[in-house]
Amino acid sequence: MFPSLSSRHRTLAKMSGANGKKGPSSGVMDWISSACRFATDRNDFRRNLLVNLGLFAAGVWVARNLSDFDLMSPQPVT
Amino acid sequence: MGSVLAASSPNPPPPAPGTAAAPGLTVPPGFGMPPVSPVIPPTGATSGQQQEAENPLPNPGAFDECHRKCKEVFPMQMEGVRMVVNKGISNHFQVNHTVLLSTSGDSSYRFGSTYVGSKQTGPAEFFPVMVGDMDNSGSLNAQIIHQISSRIRSKLAFQTQQHKFVNWQGDAEFRGEDFTATITFGNPDVLVGSGIVVTHYLQSITPALALGGELVYHRRPGEEGSVMSLVGRYTGSNYIATLTLGSAGAHASYYHKANDQLQLGVEFEASSRMQDTSVSFGYQLDVPKANLQFKGSVDSNWIVGATLEKKLLPLPLSLVLCSFLNHRKNKFQCGFGVTIG
Repeated sequence: MFPSLSSRHRTLAKMSGANGKKGPSSGVMDWISSACRFATDRNDFRRNLLVNLGLFAAGVWVARNLSDFDLMSPQPVT
Repeated sequence: MGSVLAASSPNPPPPAPGTAAAPGLTVPPGFGMPPVSPVIPPTGATSGQQQEAENPLPNPGAFDECHRKCKEVFPMQMEGVRMVVNKGISNHFQVNHTVLLSTSGDSSYRFGSTYVGSKQTGPAEFFPVMVGDMDNSGSLNAQIIHQISSRIRSKLAFQTQQHKFVNWQGDAEFRGEDFTATITFGNPDVLVGSGIVVTHYLQSITPALALGGELVYHRRPGEEGSVMSLVGRYTGSNYIATLTLGSAGAHASYYHKANDQLQLGVEFEASSRMQDTSVSFGYQLDVPKANLQFKGSVDSNWIVGATLEKKLLPLPLSLVLCSFLNHRKNKFQCGFGVTIG
């Protein structure tokens, strides 16, 4: 008499629960999606500050570790 | 001729390796300064050794010099064609002519002169130093620097826009054994009751660490305020890390000397007022055998720039090529300069 639930409907019903409470996995998904929105929002000052601080740290690391080459050294003989 | 030729013209080419940049001098925009080495506090013959034992901390230098080493690594943006002719008239006097042809702004001609006095305070230091230049519209930039005593140096600077004074300031710098204090009065107007007072203090804590602060007080009718910022500088064997923190924002710089040919600089700036941050990475390549200097930079605003300077020895000619690309705004700027003398 009643139409049988499709597998998708059964999964959604399990996730939402009987009283509409969100499960832990949807909370994690929400956190991930808000983190992605934060990371890609170019107008956010805090986001730009964190990105540029990371770039500054990367630049300091490159300057300290990848600059030890001698331009005036003789070419290797092959 | 030596001391005058050592004093370069306004907008000079970058200094050759080994020469000191002008310390503790604020320069109006578009104005260059001859190199002036720092003040060396006097030490008596017999008391010098005692003083060294009691005060092993070195003088930290000027407050304005904290980020200078890193800033000098970055290429200077130039647009259009520039020709500079330097001519030494005597041991004390030098003149220069600058012609700037520009596509984006107005083309101009500037006449500049430099006078270096006969009071010698160091191996290559002579005072007073007077530098001035005027362009074809009558705008004047002028600076007078004088060593009042062995520890006190003073400076007066003026800038006019045609006939109107837009900037006038005077400052005095005191260099102690292990500290430097500076006070600057900017655009003081007693009649209106306006002006700006800037005080700097920099103290050596250890031979490598220097801490200091800056206090800016500004006043005009109906309004006054102050801004304070703190600075810390750590000097390593081949690097200098500096951090400036204030209510207006933060400025961090890291300078690294990899070897005699390669120097690198990384800069971070954040402005709380403009709600903006940026990072720049720059490097400087010196090839003395080829009389060549190359500077390159890339920053977080998608601006890539480079300058190439080559001395065409044995001719007294120096060639500068400059190019900047703003990928975000799809803009390109190119500059070419020749310096004679």
